[in-house]
Amino acid sequence: MKKISTIGLSSIKSSLIKELMDLGVVEISAQDSKLTDPEWISYVKKDGNEVEVLDCDAKISKISEVLNSLEKYDKSKKPMFFTRKSISSKDFENAISDLSKTEENVAKVLEMNKSFNELSSEENKIETAILSLKPWASYEIPLELTETKYTSIFTGVVPNIVDVEKLKSDLREKTDRCIANLVGSDKDQHYFSIICLIKEKDDVYEILKQYGFNTVAFKDLKGTAAQNIVQYENNLKEISENKSKVEKNITDYVPYKEQIQLFYDYLVIERDKNKILGNLLNTDSTFYIEGWIPEVSKEQIENVLNKHQCWFEIYEPEEGEQTPIAMQNNSFTQPFEAITELYSLPSSSNIDPTPYMAPFYCLFFGLMLADVGYGLIMAAATYMVLKKFKLEGSIQKLMRVFFYCGISTAFWGVMFGSWFGDAIPAAAKLLFNSDFTVKPLWLNPMEEPMTLLIVSFVFGIIHLFTGMAVKAHILIRDGNPLDALFDIGFWYGLIIGLILLLFGNTVIPGSGQIGKWMSIIFALGLVLTQGRAKKNIAGKLISGVLSLYNITSYLSDVLSYSRLLALGLATGVVSSVMSILGSMGGRNVFGILLFVVVMIIGHTFNFAINALGAFVHAARLQYVEFFGKFYEGGGEPFKPFTKKTKYNRIIKEEI
Amino acid sequence: MNNILVSGNFLAILGASVAALAGIGSAIGVGIAGQAAAGVVAEDPKKFGSTLILQALPGTQGIYGLLVAFIILNKIGLLGGSMAELSAVQGGLFLAAALPIGVVGIISAIHQGKVAASGIMLIGKRPEEIAKAMVYAAMVETYAVLALLISFLMINGIAI
Repeated sequence: MKKISTIGLSSIKSSLIKELMDLGVVEISAQDSKLTDPEWISYVKKDGNEVEVLDCDAKISKISEVLNSLEKYDKSKKPMFFTRKSISSKDFENAISDLSKTEENVAKVLEMNKSFNELSSEENKIETAILSLKPWASYEIPLELTETKYTSIFTGVVPNIVDVEKLKSDLREKTDRCIANLVGSDKDQHYFSIICLIKEKDDVYEILKQYGFNTVAFKDLKGTAAQNIVQYENNLKEISENKSKVEKNITDYVPYKEQIQLFYDYLVIERDKNKILGNLLNTDSTFYIEGWIPEVSKEQIENVLNKHQCWFEIYEPEEGEQTPIAMQNNSFTQPFEAITELYSLPSSSNIDPTPYMAPFYCLFFGLMLADVGYGLIMAAATYMVLKKFKLEGSIQKLMRVFFYCGISTAFWGVMFGSWFGDAIPAAAKLLFNSDFTVKPLWLNPMEEPMTLLIVSFVFGIIHLFTGMAVKAHILIRDGNPLDALFDIGFWYGLIIGLILLLFGNTVIPGSGQIGKWMSIIFALGLVLTQGRAKKNIAGKLISGVLSLYNITSYLSDVLSYSRLLALGLATGVVSSVMSILGSMGGRNVFGILLFVVVMIIGHTFNFAINALGAFVHAARLQYVEFFGKFYEGGGEPFKPFTKKTKYNRIIKEEI
Repeated sequence: MNNILVSGNFLAILGASVAALAGIGSAIGVGIAGQAAAGVVAEDPKKFGSTLILQALPGTQGIYGLLVAFIILNKIGLLGGSMAELSAVQGGLFLAAALPIGVVGIISAIHQGKVAASGIMLIGKRPEEIAKAMVYAAMVETYAVLALLISFLMINGIAI
């Protein structure tokens, strides 16, 4: 990453901004610190066009509402992955040259959305009204009738726990000129209609109140409850007809979706152009831009700036300054950047771990899934997805990671003789009663687990040593070769020495003796050097001796790689469970059918759960064991100023 | 009936059962994670896929248990139809070998379920951090993997 500062005349500002956006390689950084710097503040002021930005944002949010509703009514088949359509910049210019029609369409759809929402809320209101009237359906007195000349008529509810008979008898005791009718009951309440003399109303009410009576009034309703319900239901029918009419009208606008998407993208570009102005500084007739460019784009940017007759300077960032991170890797390791990104981008003082991690990730994933069938399906499926869809960003990277991992899985499947587990021998046994077996190219992990366990540990040690080598590389790069020797070199020596001491004699007789001396020498070396940061002799020695305790952390790191064997076994054993289950039907039509069904369901399940396991545990071995040796995350991603369109990818045609 | 406890075959099958009990832990763990996932999906249905992945993670202990149970049954010939005559010592060895995955499986799956549930909460707020949530859950699973491995190696070493 290089820093760039440039000054130009205000007259060329908008054309430069447009060109920088087309180029998409400059990150324009905010200059807030300069605005408080007394040296700068007397000359410059902040540029910006916030009114325009807000205006665009408002339009964008409206359009995305329109697009969402069109999406809902678009009945055409959706592709499995969302991809941006490619469009040449010329076509894009043409498409957005006349937007009045599109704007009109957007307004119409918005209008219809609004009326649709109004209808929905009306519908809700009526539905609640119906619900509240339902209990009164058998109440036959018109609801507006609350009084006759001598009687008062009112309705109300009491809680469900009230004893209805007792209430009635209480009323009867008080007066015999009162009728309390139980209209209905549900699990919460009893619904009553009361008719009594007007002059006795207060007395009646007094008694009712003791039972927790609440009057229910029907405002503005005429006719009986049942009539009202019918009326409401008619209304509902009408509303739902209107709703489907509006829906149909909105559906008519679905064909305009692409045009509206173009409009959306156009507004996003305009918004970003105005927004970035906020990162610029202005004088009366010039502007100032500061930002970051990747080293490879230096020439491109120089050409553009020269063309616009700008003054510019491209220079190294200051020592220790945090630079934005853009990883650059070759075509094999590049997709594995996604795995690094899932952890965290490297801090700018660290190193991009992707190239070191990629082969191990691939290897470990393959070892843990280890099946030819699964591997080939994975590779073929991801290959087809990549061919068919123009994916972008991390989903595209992950697909490519799975492609490579699929190949590695198939490779280890061949080594271990696993083709959909033992499906082929099981099928041969079931159909022809033959003892046909698929010979593994190397070994069968079920029969020789110890060999594979040792191999797993060896892979682990290589992985850890690679991580330590990267650490040494960083230390030497930063001018600390002695640290690299003490902290990494001595540990290499001690670990190799201990391995030779413990296991050397079984491989090369006599190497145990070498191991013994190596262990002693390097352990002494560690005791003498690991306390070097401490001031006094005692502190140095104690830290030195304590550092030997780290041997346990190396041991647990190595043991962690036993998961390579364990997860590999899990795939194989579950497969053979499937084979046994599938073969239970015996050699007849039903048995064969059972075999096929069990195989398809079982292997789908086994593949899904073990591929997930392999993905997670391969990542864990990188993140915890490998990255733990050297990695430092927390970098900020490089965010170039570019066209962040959502629906269309604008391709610049070569001139 | 009295001598069933010294029957080798009984002890071996008991071992297979103990191993399969790891499924208890997985059921609880997946259940805990599932509750959290439903909460997150209520807010944002698009997160179904990523929460499902995390919910599946505590399920592996059950599979490891099944796996060990299956290896035992296979080794004593129960699945082939003709069960080997085992001495009480041999049967006891199978039972002992099944203990790591049976016990560690249950406990680790429950705790992995809790971590997965927290991870689901994490991606409820920050969906881009799913890898970290997965690694946290995988940290717990390590011990189930180790238990599986040791159970497997022990069973593999028992001579019939």
